[in-house]
Amino acid sequence: MYRRIKKVLGGDILKKRGKGIGVTFYGTGYGNGFPDVSRAYARLLEDGKVEILVGATEVGQGAKTVMVQIASETLNIPIEDVILVNEDTSKAPDAGTAAASRQTYNSGNAVKIACENLKDNILQEAKKILNVNSKIGLVCEKGSVYVKTYPSKKVSFKEIANINNNLKGEGVFIAHTTQMDENGQGAPYWPYTFAACAVEVEVDTETGEVTILRAKLVLDVGKAVNPTLVEGQIDGGFAMGVGYALMEDVGLKDGKMLNSSFEKYIIPTSLDIPNIEKVLIEYPEDTAPYGAKGIGEPVLLPVAPAILNAIYDAIGVRFYEIPVTCEKILLQLNKG
Amino acid sequence: MKIELNVNGKDYSIEIEEHLRLIDLLRDKLNLTGTKEGCGEGECGACTVIMDGRIVNSCLVMAFQAHKSKIITIEGVEDEDIKNAFIEEGAVQCGFCTPGMILAAKSLLDKNENPSEQDIREAISGNLCRCTGYNKIVSAIKKAAEIKRGGRNV
Amino acid sequence: MFEFIGKNIKRIDAKDKVEGKAIYPQDIYIEGMLYGFTVRSKFPHAFIKVDVSEAEKVDGVVKVFTYKDVPGKNHHGVVLKDHEVFISKKVKRIGDPIAFVVAKSKEIAEYAASLVKVEYDILPAVFDPEEAMRENSPKVHDKDNVFYHFKIRKGDVEKAFKECDVIVENVYKVPMVDHAFLQPEAGVSYIDEDGKIVVIASTQYPHFDQEEIAQALGVSKDLVKVLTPAVGGAFGGREDITLQIHLAIAAFTLKRPVKAVYSREESFIAHSKRHAMKMYYKTGATKDGKLLALEAKIIGDSGAYASWSMNVLRKAAVHATGPYVVENVKIDSFAVYTNNPFTGAMRGFGATQVPIAYEQQMDILARKLGLSPIEIRLKNCFKEGSETATGQILEKVALEKCIEELKRF
Repeated sequence: MYRRIKKVLGGDILKKRGKGIGVTFYGTGYGNGFPDVSRAYARLLEDGKVEILVGATEVGQGAKTVMVQIASETLNIPIEDVILVNEDTSKAPDAGTAAASRQTYNSGNAVKIACENLKDNILQEAKKILNVNSKIGLVCEKGSVYVKTYPSKKVSFKEIANINNNLKGEGVFIAHTTQMDENGQGAPYWPYTFAACAVEVEVDTETGEVTILRAKLVLDVGKAVNPTLVEGQIDGGFAMGVGYALMEDVGLKDGKMLNSSFEKYIIPTSLDIPNIEKVLIEYPEDTAPYGAKGIGEPVLLPVAPAILNAIYDAIGVRFYEIPVTCEKILLQLNKG
Repeated sequence: MKIELNVNGKDYSIEIEEHLRLIDLLRDKLNLTGTKEGCGEGECGACTVIMDGRIVNSCLVMAFQAHKSKIITIEGVEDEDIKNAFIEEGAVQCGFCTPGMILAAKSLLDKNENPSEQDIREAISGNLCRCTGYNKIVSAIKKAAEIKRGGRNV
Repeated sequence: MFEFIGKNIKRIDAKDKVEGKAIYPQDIYIEGMLYGFTVRSKFPHAFIKVDVSEAEKVDGVVKVFTYKDVPGKNHHGVVLKDHEVFISKKVKRIGDPIAFVVAKSKEIAEYAASLVKVEYDILPAVFDPEEAMRENSPKVHDKDNVFYHFKIRKGDVEKAFKECDVIVENVYKVPMVDHAFLQPEAGVSYIDEDGKIVVIASTQYPHFDQEEIAQALGVSKDLVKVLTPAVGGAFGGREDITLQIHLAIAAFTLKRPVKAVYSREESFIAHSKRHAMKMYYKTGATKDGKLLALEAKIIGDSGAYASWSMNVLRKAAVHATGPYVVENVKIDSFAVYTNNPFTGAMRGFGATQVPIAYEQQMDILARKLGLSPIEIRLKNCFKEGSETATGQILEKVALEKCIEELKRF
């Protein structure tokens, strides 16, 4: 029947547009009471710079930059003055896995605590050097410590390091979750991150091709440590969601993957992704470093369902199985 | 067999085996490891290099086919505008696709300093990226083009 | 207020990456290093006998490693130690590692690998998780294929469904998909000047790899050092061991540097996949659009090994209602062994699959009730103090704001 309508009406009617949304949540971390531990050390170096040792892997998500930003903020020192060591198990302590959207939250907390402890030790040393009666009233700024009400009384991190070369701080953070009981009751993850996505699609009813015309993604970030990095995660998560909804399947047959090459396993290209309007909702999380929640996974979750709902809105067909390939769309449309 | 070629402005005369691919020559023999292998079948573009002014997948080119040719790899890209734009716009994540992307961008901008967004998307459509969702790469290339045009007018 | 937080600081690793100077494991070349190539199972379920004698005779082959050459424990795994470093008796999926040929060049290693004789005594296999759940199905691990069943019970779904004005019942299916990170697995192992076994590899969790490598080598953890230079994307696919232990055993035994680089196809075969799931959903609401009851059965195909399956199916169940208050919930999730590729962590970790079901259920309900997709979600979404299906009380919930934003699309 659909075919006949197309023939009669022709033209633009062949391309159908529709909008859809998806709303999701994601609980950070290993969860369920598992000891989800991140550890970090901070150490004042001879040249007044600060070494941060944390075994958080940079997989492309931006962990290195985020850890450095958190250290810079906590110690109030320039980015260039933070020397990050994260790529060697014999040097950097265990900070758990770079997964479960947990590095910014967990290891970020560990780095923050380590820096706070180091700062405390630096202030203690500065108190002695400056010969003041208390740490209270001392300010740490741009690699120096000075008396707030009498700024000329000042000592640099480098000078402090030359007097005491053993100033360190340790940070340990354990995410709080409880194990669920036999009825699945408990507090299995923390924190939860929310995301909402809207897309507009165009379905070509002759070829079955789905084009995503535009998109919006709203993300509850707590606090964005680095908005550009967050946006990059949103773009990347969106693309992965497009692949999940429309393209990707390893193609199993009797235990064998038929699509185990990039020739057959299709992932989105630059031509498949629209520009995305991004909205970051900042509602700082109390237990997070500077309020920042994990967002690496949350950005992906609402995308595929939004696309599926938009396809329904466009052509009135509900797909219960993904990926919704051109062939599947044509098959459904031709069933009429 | 022996071939002669110019890579990043440097002349080489080098003994190669017949089955050697251009990517192996660059990586294994010339130590230019900025060229990446992502699939080995010309689908991902991570191994993109510029050969006599055109972008090629160096995994699909045999080394002997590069005889008498001029190759530019990421190590030979002197165009700071593109590289800086990639850094500033946040177009880099894991970085594995980045060299190929930059060469594809260079090849586009060498020919067209005022590309439309569609031109840019088409120019990098042979380069897969799994991290960035491409949008920041597209804006980086736009920005590099703007800087180039601005630079010329000044 | 902040000096550095909230600022678009340029990535500190970006400069090296745009100049092609960032080092990934495949970019490391050491004088005199050897190359390894993995021999893998061609069948999904079979007893095997391996003969490496022909392969070892090839000029340039230094050694062919099998399970007999594992100095420590021949196993690994992120939760259950159900992977073997090299298969000793029974392959459970296509691609199971059987031997590791180490030779003077990549080409020789690959050629010699084709001479490793593997005799397969084929066993009946099972590929459909629901079939695998039946009592008389072939057993992947000589025990029940269902190795994890997680339940959420809240309120009384049976009673609540009777009070619903609208009930929507559907079955959703999602396939196995791949992480498709751009950098295929690669690694180098050697013994450093302090006598430590160094493994350079792309991994998400170097300290865990360190433990697993040490166990397989039968040495203390302190003797193993894992270095993670640039990692070319991960998305969960670098949680499980792939080549790290093979390389470490070879370098440890031969006292020479050994490198391996997977092709794209081997990368697909070697690392985990996102769980295929079949999700039976029944969702009920009152005529004014309030969700009253949700019942779901989620069956996850774990493939041949457990990897993170328990945690993934648990996360799927906890997120199965979506971010909505539902007072009556019954959820059962299962992780099931089959002879398929093994599944593990992938971005979203179980919470990616369930929205394919729950978010379509929401739209279907909305349509039946004459509500807009946004209205039905706002009516039911988590708010400050809401209780989840697991009884957890939420605070700091920015969800309403997120949904409201979609009105301006």
